[in-house]
Amino acid sequence: MSKHDQEDIRRHLETCPACADEVHSLEKLLESADSLGQEMKAVLYGIDWDAQAEKIVTAVWDQKARPEIKTKRERGWLFAARFRPALAGLLLGILVGVTAMFVVYRSGVLEKPAAEAFFASNEFLGRIDQEVARRETLDYLEKSQYVLLELAQSQTESGNCRLTEAAARETRELLSKKKYLNPQLEKARMAKAKAICDQIELLFYELAQVSENLTPVQCRGIQNLIEEKDILLKIKLLKKELQESEV
Amino acid sequence: MEDKGPTYHEDISTLLCKAGEGDRQAFKDIVSLHQQKVFLLAYSILKNREDALDVVQETFMRLYQKLDAYEKGRNFQAWLLQIAKNLSIDYYRKYHARRREMESGKSVEELPLAAEDHWSNPESSELRHVLSRNLERLGERQRLIFVMKHFNGLEYREIAQVLGISVGTVKSLHFKAVRNLKNWLSPQLGIQA
Repeated sequence: MSKHDQEDIRRHLETCPACADEVHSLEKLLESADSLGQEMKAVLYGIDWDAQAEKIVTAVWDQKARPEIKTKRERGWLFAARFRPALAGLLLGILVGVTAMFVVYRSGVLEKPAAEAFFASNEFLGRIDQEVARRETLDYLEKSQYVLLELAQSQTESGNCRLTEAAARETRELLSKKKYLNPQLEKARMAKAKAICDQIELLFYELAQVSENLTPVQCRGIQNLIEEKDILLKIKLLKKELQESEV
Repeated sequence: MEDKGPTYHEDISTLLCKAGEGDRQAFKDIVSLHQQKVFLLAYSILKNREDALDVVQETFMRLYQKLDAYEKGRNFQAWLLQIAKNLSIDYYRKYHARRREMESGKSVEELPLAAEDHWSNPESSELRHVLSRNLERLGERQRLIFVMKHFNGLEYREIAQVLGISVGTVKSLHFKAVRNLKNWLSPQLGIQA
């Protein structure tokens, strides 16, 4: 502020009581602040500053004398002189490896031979289905033949028929097996075999519905059924046919 | 034992240079020259004598670690006080803030930068008492500037260097601090609102 400005302000304050009061209050505030600062400095007098300085310097020098604990590795430690031979070896190894891989790759050794694609024609698959059905049917016929023969031979002197426990169990198993055999026979287009197997199945249903001990009437009825339909003969012929048609 | 203090001719840069080379006496001279100013700044923030002394020690330890970073020609005192201010605020936040918050419900930002007058004599005027209490109502930068200006006796330029702001900003913030205090203290100053 220039002297001229200061003089202007001084003259204004002389004529303006409001501004003069304002300045006065500000001066009072700042004087009070400075006074507070001085009072605050009184706390300095209670401290031995020379001893304090010595204490600080001692602490600094103690810290300096302490071995520095490195918490972090310096940057580039891997490239320190002692690691250079190892790094050079590693680099050389990588180069040799890459070159070798390149050469081997170019020679075609690593190329995989073309995978042999598996291909099965519909005809082949059909023959497999047919073969499976043939074997299953043969098995079914053999077991059925066994049960029916046993039934034929089990007639006692009194005329009663009696199925053994094993034959009865076999009958039940054959009934359930037939359910799985049906789709196979249809798929393999073995209509004749299916028709004979259906007749056998019907016979077994009849057997399953009567008790193990058949009365002479029941026994005769079943045997008639077997004879009328030539079941055993059909089984025999079908078995022969299936055995001959082995794939 | 009486320490031989630094002469007026001994430049602070020379002392710093010597201290950097391991001259214990040179470093002690630096400490002797500045420790009271550092203490006042720390004390005005922490309001605790022992805590302020801890910060003084920490400040000079930090200074020694940073000696190499000192640029010649830079205002050393402002640089040192900047370190002290940062350490004081860190110290406050670390050890005082939670306690203060629990006691008064005030936030960390409301740093009590003025010393309470528990240490002053019973004859302290009402104005000083009220001023001391009202300093806490100022914003952080306004309080720091007011304290550094009136308690530490720093120039605007030095305060600007300590706080890392322009001289104009320091003047402006100081003016706002004074205006606020004047408004709050108007009854004690005899001003009619």
